Amino acid sequence: MPVVELTGVTKAYQSKVAVDHLSLSIDAGQMFGLLGPNGAGKTSSIRMMMGITMPDAGRVELFGKPFSRASLDRVGYLPEERGLYKKMKVLDQLVFFGQLHGLTAEEATKRALIWTRRMEIADVLDKKTQELSKGMQQKIQFIATLLHDPGLVVMDEPFSGLDPVNATLLQDALLDLKSQGKAILFSTHRMDQVEKLCDSICLINGGVAVLSGKVREIKSRYKRDRVVVEFEGRDEFLKSDEIAEATNYSGHAEIKLKPNGDSQKLLHLAASMATIYRFELVEPSLEEIFIQTVGGKADA
Amino acid sequence: MRNMLLIAKREYLEQIRGRAFRMSTVLLPLLIAALLGFSHYMERKANVGERIAIVAEDPTLANEVRQQMLDDKDAQYKVDVVSPASAAQRTELLGQVQSKQLDGILTVDSSNPQKITATFVSLSVADVSAYGGLQNALNRGVINERLISKGLSKADTEALLTKTSIDALQLDEHGNVGKSNGKAIVIKATIMLLVLSIPIMLYGLDMARAIIEEKSSRIFEVMLAVAEPSDLLGGKLLGVGGVGITQIAIWMVGAMAFMGSALAAELLTGDIAIHFTWQEAVFFPVYFALGFALFSTIFSGLAATCETAQDLQKFMWVAIVPLYVSMGLLSAMIKDPNSVWSIAATLCPLTSPYVVIARMGMTTVPLWQVGLSVVLLALTFWGTLWFSSRLYRVGILMYGKRATLPELMRWLRYS
Repeated sequence: MPVVELTGVTKAYQSKVAVDHLSLSIDAGQMFGLLGPNGAGKTSSIRMMMGITMPDAGRVELFGKPFSRASLDRVGYLPEERGLYKKMKVLDQLVFFGQLHGLTAEEATKRALIWTRRMEIADVLDKKTQELSKGMQQKIQFIATLLHDPGLVVMDEPFSGLDPVNATLLQDALLDLKSQGKAILFSTHRMDQVEKLCDSICLINGGVAVLSGKVREIKSRYKRDRVVVEFEGRDEFLKSDEIAEATNYSGHAEIKLKPNGDSQKLLHLAASMATIYRFELVEPSLEEIFIQTVGGKADA
Repeated sequence: MRNMLLIAKREYLEQIRGRAFRMSTVLLPLLIAALLGFSHYMERKANVGERIAIVAEDPTLANEVRQQMLDDKDAQYKVDVVSPASAAQRTELLGQVQSKQLDGILTVDSSNPQKITATFVSLSVADVSAYGGLQNALNRGVINERLISKGLSKADTEALLTKTSIDALQLDEHGNVGKSNGKAIVIKATIMLLVLSIPIMLYGLDMARAIIEEKSSRIFEVMLAVAEPSDLLGGKLLGVGGVGITQIAIWMVGAMAFMGSALAAELLTGDIAIHFTWQEAVFFPVYFALGFALFSTIFSGLAATCETAQDLQKFMWVAIVPLYVSMGLLSAMIKDPNSVWSIAATLCPLTSPYVVIARMGMTTVPLWQVGLSVVLLALTFWGTLWFSSRLYRVGILMYGKRATLPELMRWLRYS
């Protein structure tokens, strides 16, 4: 049973169709990336999943049942635009959000203490939110999203504004949740993180799903036309007819083959001119697939 | 409902713990008391001890008027008589007025005994209270002189002109007659209007500003994922309204403690003896709660359409006009608390929160009028809540969009 299932969901604002017959499904224990350029319809789709707006057509199901507000108690939502009460103390804020999700004050306090220790912000519990840095506030919002132990976690750009150390903390927490069987939905522009974390993706553009499926399957659909060569010696092989474009970083070359370029011919040529330490045919990165799919509209 | 109460609790505690609440709870009554006290003091002190010159061709008449002025113990006039006065003396007196050695010149022209006229020259033409005292003294002086010229003795004229005062009595709904004090009624009505209108306006606008702030901080996106828009709006209304009720309760307890004190017994005597009835105590929180709910709901809907606090300013007239109208009607109400205007102001939901309690202090307001007024106010609140919650639901998620009238109509259709 999918945790989230959207079937033919459509939403229009006046004459603009924000989401057009979008269908997707996320299972328990799955990390799902919702990708697309700005204005593609990611936030509109998420808002419909969260019941913030209602679809004009189509069906939203959470935990195998048609959407109802009651099911939101099992959902944690971190919107792109962070929102916290500035004058509230951190612990009060976390307890308040926990209570809104159905926890008792005692339970919410207990969990808040555990999470703040884990996220290394236990020393700011008595501070007002407005006194904290943006990164700290983001961690608090992250905890507020997860405090009630949701079965579904929806996060819009969860890593934006975080330094690498804190981003790793969050990443580890999400991987833990995934291993506990939670369904996690990401909306992001950071393709490297999607590639590293997500099992499946849905790329939307102009409100329409243009690419979806498991990351591995999607990548396998694309030809391995990239070559990475590490070598020592002459570099004339980089002018071969098999190559569409090549960049040489002092013995580390990144090559894109022509559509009918033969990698084996290139390997023989390179071996005849230089000592080859590494010759690897690589599949295109998600970022390349993203740019290729949405063309000039992407701003990732 | 649980979430609405949680939101209400959060709003309530945040406000109650804030410095603004403590400051306004203490300073607002002090400010109102200071304003009323200052106004009362100025009224008593106005035109006291003024130096007036009486210019007349008839010295007897001039002296008679002088005596009448000196008899006015409250005014404590210092009076000079120049009679008869030459042109040079008149010019000199005008110079003294200009140099503020004299406060005014009362010139009495008795060249036509059948029609004695007078003029008063001072630097301030708007000195109404001075005219009142002078007019009275002049009339009594002229009558006195006429009676004496007809052969009456001084003692007879004094007896004839003895002042007769009117004691105003008020009949209540039980047929009891009590003493009515006009000045105390005006002071009490003003206090009631201020004590009701200031918190309603302050908390209503504060709530509107908070909505704009929360909209710009995007917290609504998080909150809407856990609570219904109606819970958000209802929670805010309950929380902020609770703060207002708490503040008024503190003021009422404070007022009761003060009224029972020796200081109040000393201060609130004579023409400023103020007392409150149980009806006023019962309906005061009712009108505050409903008035606050109505105006806050209006402001909340409007605030949801705004991006910044500056945008909200264009809707300030919604708050100010009913208050100004109520203040205007209050003076008409003091003259006739049972006029058509007074009844209309009692029933109109935009003015009733401000004027009904004030009117209760002036007259016995029929129960049907109070009942109908409360019902109309409650119904208007529900209607406004319906309208505002729709604007609120869409508006809080609309960023960077100017809310024109057609746009607002679309928002209402969306929700």
